[in-house]
Amino acid sequence: MRTLRAAVAGVVLVLAVTLQVSALPHIAIAGVTCDLALIVVVGFGLARGPEFGALTGFAGGLLLDLVPPADHTAGRWALALALAGYLAGLLRREGATPVGPGQVGLSVVLCTSLAHLAFAGTGALLRDPSADAGEVVTRLGVAIGYDVLAAMVVVPLVMWGIGRFGTAQDRRRLTGGASL
Amino acid sequence: MVLRELGAPPTKGVVRSTGVPRELRRRRTVLALVILASFTLITLDARRSPSSPIDPLRNAAASVFGPLESGATSAVEPVNGLRDRFAEMDRLVAENQRLTEENAALNGQLRSAEYARQRAAELDRLLKVAGLGGYTVAPARVIGIGAAQTFTRTVTIDAGTADGVRADMTVLNGDGLVGRVVRATEGTATVLLLTDAGSTVGGRLERTMSLGFLSGRGQVGSGAVLDFALVDVRAQPKPGDRLVTWGSRGSAPYVAGVPIGEVISVGAFQGTFGSTAVVRPYVDASRLDTVGVVVGPPARDPRDAVLPPRQGR
Repeated sequence: MRTLRAAVAGVVLVLAVTLQVSALPHIAIAGVTCDLALIVVVGFGLARGPEFGALTGFAGGLLLDLVPPADHTAGRWALALALAGYLAGLLRREGATPVGPGQVGLSVVLCTSLAHLAFAGTGALLRDPSADAGEVVTRLGVAIGYDVLAAMVVVPLVMWGIGRFGTAQDRRRLTGGASL
Repeated sequence: MVLRELGAPPTKGVVRSTGVPRELRRRRTVLALVILASFTLITLDARRSPSSPIDPLRNAAASVFGPLESGATSAVEPVNGLRDRFAEMDRLVAENQRLTEENAALNGQLRSAEYARQRAAELDRLLKVAGLGGYTVAPARVIGIGAAQTFTRTVTIDAGTADGVRADMTVLNGDGLVGRVVRATEGTATVLLLTDAGSTVGGRLERTMSLGFLSGRGQVGSGAVLDFALVDVRAQPKPGDRLVTWGSRGSAPYVAGVPIGEVISVGAFQGTFGSTAVVRPYVDASRLDTVGVVVGPPARDPRDAVLPPRQGR
């Protein structure tokens, strides 16, 4: 079950990254592309908790770092998406109730902010091509709006999909609200 | 194991119900490992030297994702063609009156043929530019576009080392200079666009031949402009002046004589470094499709022979 789940998550991430770099830029808003990989990772985190969220976030972010036309220092999106996935998992654990549109929206707003600020932060540290704070905030605003819209469709799909590859024991563990 | 033992004991207020410490520790270990892995990657790659240990990974990713991106781009072609038609509506309305006769003939054509025809025309103009300048050009299509939130303006093209494309080669299209290749794998290459904040090109004013440097601002969309700083203190650019590349030593990364853009406004006189101006590039980076990589530079500098005829613009 575990291997199968990892394989399914991998395929979904590859698909998301491919779409994000080739098809989605054509419908970008003010140049900002929908962060499909990030949304998928948030879905994984919400469905399966912080560990799964952090690991899939790392994998998805690594793909974004390596796949052309990426031209920044590798590891920056990996870190950003891992943090976002972990945060999404924590948000799910806190609530331990079925995830509704409100929670999806809130999670995406928080995770997108965290991921983008982490990415901009590492960029500033490394003096990678980075932008001034105003530009970061503007693009973050556009990205949040765009991502929330997309997440309303994508997150339920991802959660339903990955939920089919969970055992009954997993489900008890996740919904029992035993810890943090 | 060391990390697991290091996991801090759950503190009051963080854990609200009777927590499972083992699971909590495990979770923190995963987070710590993932963050460590990210920082390791960043450290390994931070130098950006040509022999970065991450480069084999990049090449592998490019060889897997190149065909995927190519496929996805082909799949959205019809949608893309539709968008282009909407955007060009205004211009087409004016043109329609002059071209009524030709339109009658065009009506008979299939809708799906339109996109292919547009690309053929683009390729045609590209070849014309290549012929005028004496360049040897490898044609390619844009298959991936960098998002604005990464703050780099880059695109992926579907030509690579197999087509003779190497890093530091000039990329152009029928309108003018697009950018330069920063990285090439067997089947794909990454192009740094003119409008990237890290891009600097040597430019020559067509009218006075005076030299200067053009740098991008990292802007997105069709309104993106470049900053032009003249080297010559006495040179006075005027709005409408046109610029070509003056070429780098050994024709890398930029060959000479490629049209760049037009001066749209002139800045205040700035002390030792001469005048500054704002330049609108001929190439609209948000609407790139067919481009060419200059794999063989011209034998001699074509100067401004490749600039479009002035009446046409």
